[in-house]
Amino acid sequence: MADLNKGEEPVDRKSDVSATEAAEAAEPAGAVEAAIEAPVERGEPILQVRNLVKHFPLTQGILFKRQIGAVKAVDGISFDLYQGETLGIVGESGCGKSTVAKLLMLLETATSGEVFYKGQDITKLSGRALRAVRRNIQMVFQDPYTSLNPRMTVGDIIGEPFDIHPEGAPKGDRRRKVQELLDVVGLNPEYINRYPHQFSGGQRQRIGIARGLALNPEIIICDEPVSALDVSVQAQVINLMEKLQDEFNLSYLFIAHDLSIVRHISDRVGVMYLGKMAEIGTDAEIYDHPTHPYTQALLSAVPVPDPEAREGRERIILTGDVPSPANPPSGCRFRTRCWKAQDKCATEVPVLAIPERFKDSETLAAHESACHFAEEKDVVHAA
Amino acid sequence: MLLQVRDLHVEFRTHDGVAKAVNGVSYEVDAGETLAVLGESGSGKSVTAQAIMGILDVPPGRITGGEILFQGRDLLQLKEDDRRKVRGAEMAMIFQDALSSLNPVLSVGEQLGEMFVVHRGMSRKDARAKAVELMDRVRIPAAKERVGQYPHQFSGGMRQRIMIAMALALEPALIIADEPTTALDVTVQAQVMDLLAELQQEYHMGLILITHDLGVVADVADRIAVMYAGRIVETAPVHDLYKAPAHPYTRGLLDSIPRLDHKGHELYAIKGLPPNLMAIPPGCAFHPRCPRAQDVCLTDEPPLYAVAEDGARESACHFWRETLRDA
Repeated sequence: MADLNKGEEPVDRKSDVSATEAAEAAEPAGAVEAAIEAPVERGEPILQVRNLVKHFPLTQGILFKRQIGAVKAVDGISFDLYQGETLGIVGESGCGKSTVAKLLMLLETATSGEVFYKGQDITKLSGRALRAVRRNIQMVFQDPYTSLNPRMTVGDIIGEPFDIHPEGAPKGDRRRKVQELLDVVGLNPEYINRYPHQFSGGQRQRIGIARGLALNPEIIICDEPVSALDVSVQAQVINLMEKLQDEFNLSYLFIAHDLSIVRHISDRVGVMYLGKMAEIGTDAEIYDHPTHPYTQALLSAVPVPDPEAREGRERIILTGDVPSPANPPSGCRFRTRCWKAQDKCATEVPVLAIPERFKDSETLAAHESACHFAEEKDVVHAA
Repeated sequence: MLLQVRDLHVEFRTHDGVAKAVNGVSYEVDAGETLAVLGESGSGKSVTAQAIMGILDVPPGRITGGEILFQGRDLLQLKEDDRRKVRGAEMAMIFQDALSSLNPVLSVGEQLGEMFVVHRGMSRKDARAKAVELMDRVRIPAAKERVGQYPHQFSGGMRQRIMIAMALALEPALIIADEPTTALDVTVQAQVMDLLAELQQEYHMGLILITHDLGVVADVADRIAVMYAGRIVETAPVHDLYKAPAHPYTRGLLDSIPRLDHKGHELYAIKGLPPNLMAIPPGCAFHPRCPRAQDVCLTDEPPLYAVAEDGARESACHFWRETLRDA
């Protein structure tokens, strides 16, 4: 079942073999436990994002368009994604997290910056080399209703990647391959001739995941993959994604606004605000020892399903709305809503680095945070 | 009692058959009280609210039984003209999607003022002054300058405040909020929920909060009613329900949410899918997905058993004692 196109990979994928073997050895039921228990071994990052920028021009005039500004959707973001790990990206709407997904998928052209996939800058690629990379980075979309073509059968939807990338298609029976994929995501292989409308939301998302897996990619970018689903179905899909990650040694970039789900699935988490990374670290560093005021405010605002825990937690209610990315505040972008803001925050842009005061500290507060006045504050656990 | 819904039945006639959306729902809301109605899509929580407001699409929808007593009157017996006088003035609704609920070609001032012109017969000028006052009350900054602006010029949170202002305009006795913060970011969600709770206290209104989010409910509700397949499966005061649910469906929902304060292991997932409303399983509708199901669950539909002696807690599970004990 875990054997997807093994031996037909033209690209260098030596690490894949051991992973597939490991997955074959593991019982499916125990796989999820293992995925959570196993410590992350960081080897070489599989994806390195450096100073990624995307500005959407704002134009005026009809015949003679001239640029009057730009929406700075992503404004200099750097992070690494390691093999087999899940990096969660959280932030409010308009912070640029979905634009990051599109840039990594090469669906948008970056204004500047680099994205290295196995050492190769994919933003500069074209033609055959680009196609080869695209095969290894797949995406699962938010809305399982609009991301599946209603006129195609499930078999055609899941098999379509094979038409686009014939070199990644199985040599023999494609239909059998598609049925295998259906089985992998927990759908009845008999359903291959059905249409999307015959499935529920959760089942459709499984179809979307099967399509993403078809070409045996190394990275899957998930943009809000469960936010359109009901609570009881969300858990099923999350468990499936964790199982698949373990089986196929996938790396996930998991974009979501639900902070509890992101903590559950992620090994590391990045918090974005207005096109910049505010703070990044392991899940325990970000959730239990946040040092950036925005992260603290965001976490404290999450309603938790436990009335007693809520009473013991400190709440930080931010005033106002997120400023426009077309005209972000000078210096620190969060300063207009920050209760700690000083003059320095308006003039100096804080860099994303381990804050000076925590440099020699052994605690989990010693992680990258873009704040001049970074200080640890637990807002998640009841006092 | 401000509002009493008694044994309400609603069905939808479609080409494929009759979908039974609401199957005998009863609940009550008192002045100053917040009742949260919790359920997944298709549970009938919004359809019940539409029936109360009198905005159900008829046809295909049809109320096939029950009573809706509002301040002692059965709303279902009123003529449409009388119903219209109740709607907006005595009970109002806040919808999830403020952008599509507001008219894009009218300024927010005109839309807020319209309430006073239509229901109170005010002049346009007075209505506009009232609109500014309302915008101030829901803490929209620079209300005087912004009263002439159009919905697209406001952010999501501000638009939801305008929706709240519109619902409050005529100081209704009951507000029904259908997923009021679902479309908003968490930081804005907290602001809007706080505002709603504060205004409810100030005006001593009854509030029905319809949501699928167990977190939001825990924050603001007094009592909670959990719906599944068009029925109420459990009602309880908020603290009791979170501490020890008395229905396996509620238990499953609580267990399937990941936690913010620690990583946890594999999520509990309720097996299977929500039921098809055209073919609701016999007996207990939840039995095909229930870890506790016995033979009796396949045949006998469970009534709402009294879990607490004072009637404050009820559970529609034959095995509520066991569920509660294992909680």
